[in-house]
Amino acid sequence: MKAMSRRIRVWSLISFGAVATMLLMSLVMPLLSTPVMADDATKAVTETAPKVEMAKDIYYKKEGPVSGPPVPELKATDYPSYNLPYPLSENRIIIWSIAQQHLYFGSFVLAVPIFCMIIELVGLLVKDPVMAKKYDDLAHLMVKISLTAYSVTAILGGLLIFSFITLYPDFFKYLSSLFKPVMHIYALLFLAESGTLYLYYYGWDRMAHGFAKWIHASMGVLLNVFGTVLMMLANSWASFMMSPAGVDEKGRYLGNLWAVMHNALWNPLNVHRIIGNMVFGGGIVAAYAAYKFLAAKNQEEKAYYDWMGYIAMFLAVGSLIPLPFAGYWLMREVYGFRQQMGITLMGGLLAWLFIIQAVLIGALFFSTNYYLFNGMERMRGAERYQKYIKYILFLTTAAFLVWLTPHTLVMRPAELKAIGGQQHPVIGNFGVMSAKNGAVNTMIMTTIISFLLYQRSNKIVTVKWEAWGNGALMAMFAVALVNNWWLAIYGYFIPANVRVGLSVPQVVGTLTTLFIGSAINIAMMKGSKLTGPIEWGKISVRSQYALFALAVSFTWLMALMGYIRSSVRLFWHVMEVFRDNSPWAFTHTIGFAANVMSINVMAFWLFVLFVFWLGELTSQHALAEARKEVARPAMAGGSE
Amino acid sequence: MWIPGYMPIELLLIITLVAFIYVGVNYLLTKMGKRIPAFPQAILLWLGAYSIFKFVLFPPIPSALLYTFMGLVTLVVFLFISSTEKGWTEFKRPILNTVMAVNPMYKGIRTVSFVVLPLLIGYGTYDFYLPKFDEPIDLRTVHPAPPASVTVRGTNFTLQTAQNPFRVDDNGKYLPVGQESKYFKMNPFDPNAPQYMKNVRDGGAIFFQNCHFCHGDNLNGRGMFAFAFVPIPANFADPGTIAQLQETFVFWRISKGGPGLPRESAPWASAMPPWEEHLTTDEIWKVNMFEYWHTEFFPRTWD
Repeated sequence: MKAMSRRIRVWSLISFGAVATMLLMSLVMPLLSTPVMADDATKAVTETAPKVEMAKDIYYKKEGPVSGPPVPELKATDYPSYNLPYPLSENRIIIWSIAQQHLYFGSFVLAVPIFCMIIELVGLLVKDPVMAKKYDDLAHLMVKISLTAYSVTAILGGLLIFSFITLYPDFFKYLSSLFKPVMHIYALLFLAESGTLYLYYYGWDRMAHGFAKWIHASMGVLLNVFGTVLMMLANSWASFMMSPAGVDEKGRYLGNLWAVMHNALWNPLNVHRIIGNMVFGGGIVAAYAAYKFLAAKNQEEKAYYDWMGYIAMFLAVGSLIPLPFAGYWLMREVYGFRQQMGITLMGGLLAWLFIIQAVLIGALFFSTNYYLFNGMERMRGAERYQKYIKYILFLTTAAFLVWLTPHTLVMRPAELKAIGGQQHPVIGNFGVMSAKNGAVNTMIMTTIISFLLYQRSNKIVTVKWEAWGNGALMAMFAVALVNNWWLAIYGYFIPANVRVGLSVPQVVGTLTTLFIGSAINIAMMKGSKLTGPIEWGKISVRSQYALFALAVSFTWLMALMGYIRSSVRLFWHVMEVFRDNSPWAFTHTIGFAANVMSINVMAFWLFVLFVFWLGELTSQHALAEARKEVARPAMAGGSE
Repeated sequence: MWIPGYMPIELLLIITLVAFIYVGVNYLLTKMGKRIPAFPQAILLWLGAYSIFKFVLFPPIPSALLYTFMGLVTLVVFLFISSTEKGWTEFKRPILNTVMAVNPMYKGIRTVSFVVLPLLIGYGTYDFYLPKFDEPIDLRTVHPAPPASVTVRGTNFTLQTAQNPFRVDDNGKYLPVGQESKYFKMNPFDPNAPQYMKNVRDGGAIFFQNCHFCHGDNLNGRGMFAFAFVPIPANFADPGTIAQLQETFVFWRISKGGPGLPRESAPWASAMPPWEEHLTTDEIWKVNMFEYWHTEFFPRTWD
């Protein structure tokens, strides 16, 4: 029996590993590959059909056979629009809103399976059967929430395609002429993902034990493989519009699809979106838990949703930490591709929107820290650490002050004269990237400190090396912070290319505090004496509003950054290749754009409420079962 | 006295000092049994921050930024006092006591508050809607996006890849960005100066013949004509101007001036003439070199 069980386990691990490898392959392959096919295609064509016209790839600078028509030169009349009152008379407003909603739901249904995969795996690895069941039920509940969202995503996707075909027919025709096979693969993958999702969800109870459970967990991985590849395919269309490749200067396809897909911004966008989706998905689930917490009718319900909110927040913020670095890489590549695009984004026309972004990012860090401070109150013994809250808040505030201060200020002419220029001689210096890097790393590190203190809140360290451990932690944070600040100052005195490189040691310092700091902290917690259990449900109502703030900030940020990414093309459908000659090929005012974004955010939340409500209709029984098992805490300081 | 270049650190140090004083005083008062309750503490923190941003920071920051900073401070003070249940209860107590008028003193405060607060709000609303004749807030875009290439005096330059032909080392080869720091302290008037410094000297001569009237002797945007313009000319000594830009970007700005600015974000507020009408491309490159040499900044590169 024992041998049988071991064999099952080995086979399960092999199958799980095989599927996980598939996931990694899909991510690694595009990074390793180079557009060598262009040479092969060129060679083949020159040998067999010498009359084919050759042209130069605008990005890869290689010659290829002209295999498609040039971009059409459109007139204003080539954009069929509805005779609707302004602003709906602008086709782009319709596309903008539908694309935004599709993206929100698409992100959600891509992110939730990632969490389910992680949580189900945690459930499989946890030795305590009660905790294992608790995690498993949570993962199951999350898939249930995402099921309806999945249908909404598909419907919105269809709506988006119809809108493109009817409102931008020539542009869509051009794009589909390039991505024809990719679009078919996309549709087939969607089918595969749907099938896997339904198997994953409906097979949950049947595949609950032994080898079948591992197969089920592997299916979760497979689901994520499909989802991630789907997203990457769609990203290639958006990134092609920003940084075209595989076409000549007239937009003619040069026979190499991989070159078209593997354009300059594809991979940075892939990485940024995968991480962003995870943050967003966690935020939505946390908001769901907060809503249910506030509406809870008894302590049992409160305890369950408090725990759920914590887990979702933990995953969201865990994913948030690498997000600025992915964003930094994306922006670096944007600058590398076209200087003017980078300047339009961060120094020119769209720079003010980055100030709003800074404010929203600050809101994320403040919400997270505030939630953790409030969360400490669930645990007896946390009073020992509450005295540090003021220092953490102070450091975060000082960093945020630097983070949100723009280089060029909004001011009246009289104020401008008083200052003597567009840049304030004191705080104007905070407006450059060197200062911002120092600020954001500081905010991340203060959030890590909050996490470590939270982990310790209900424990008394008993390891013999306590003093050494605490000393190591303090020294590590002190060195990382001082190194970070010093490099931020030093960055003012060196060339830009060296300064950009300084972000690496800053990030290394921050990540060291995260990984090594967490490892030391967890090691110190081994065998610790509990001052009491985590009393789930005994958290302030204010903390739940912090979770809402977190989720709304995420959605607002996505709307904002999506708009920025898209509008940086200015009057181009495809940057410098396919000109947008529609009557509305101008950049909206910041106020107007902000209103559209906010309406999109509100519409999404209304949609989400509907989805939650639908989920509620069928989940009452499952929830009642799950709630009964919430007797003990979990994760990040929760294990007793 | 604020010292340009060190002031940002100074501001952060002042804020840190005030924070430590706050913690220290609070600690001592608590030890003495005279702890300040949470509500007045919050008010004091808010006023302290306001005083620094309004009265200590010089020159005064624009009102829009002051509101932003104070909004942040208000949020943080709220987060601080409500981060623990004990602090939140303590903070709310005087407010609830006032609303419920638990004793004659609070009743008096409530009466005054209920009269004064609506009046204040009413005045605020009146003041907000009162027609004003101040010039409106200017949401100006300072860094225009450059074109991919630019034609100056019949020569086409691709801004992403073009190089300053006068950026040469002692052997006459192209000097990579970052290596010019060895020339920063050299005397451009030395008869034995290397070629790089000779080019800087030429650029300096052109600058003082044409540019310094607006951009100033110290390149800080405060030339003798500077204050005739709104806004005043660009301050090259600021780490956020030429230090953030490619040499080719600066070349484009000098060549094309205000009239050559892109359509987006128009109308531009720039009195910069298109210097291609007065200077050769070589002269423009040399002025460019002088500006970086004088400010000791390095142009942006992408490698």
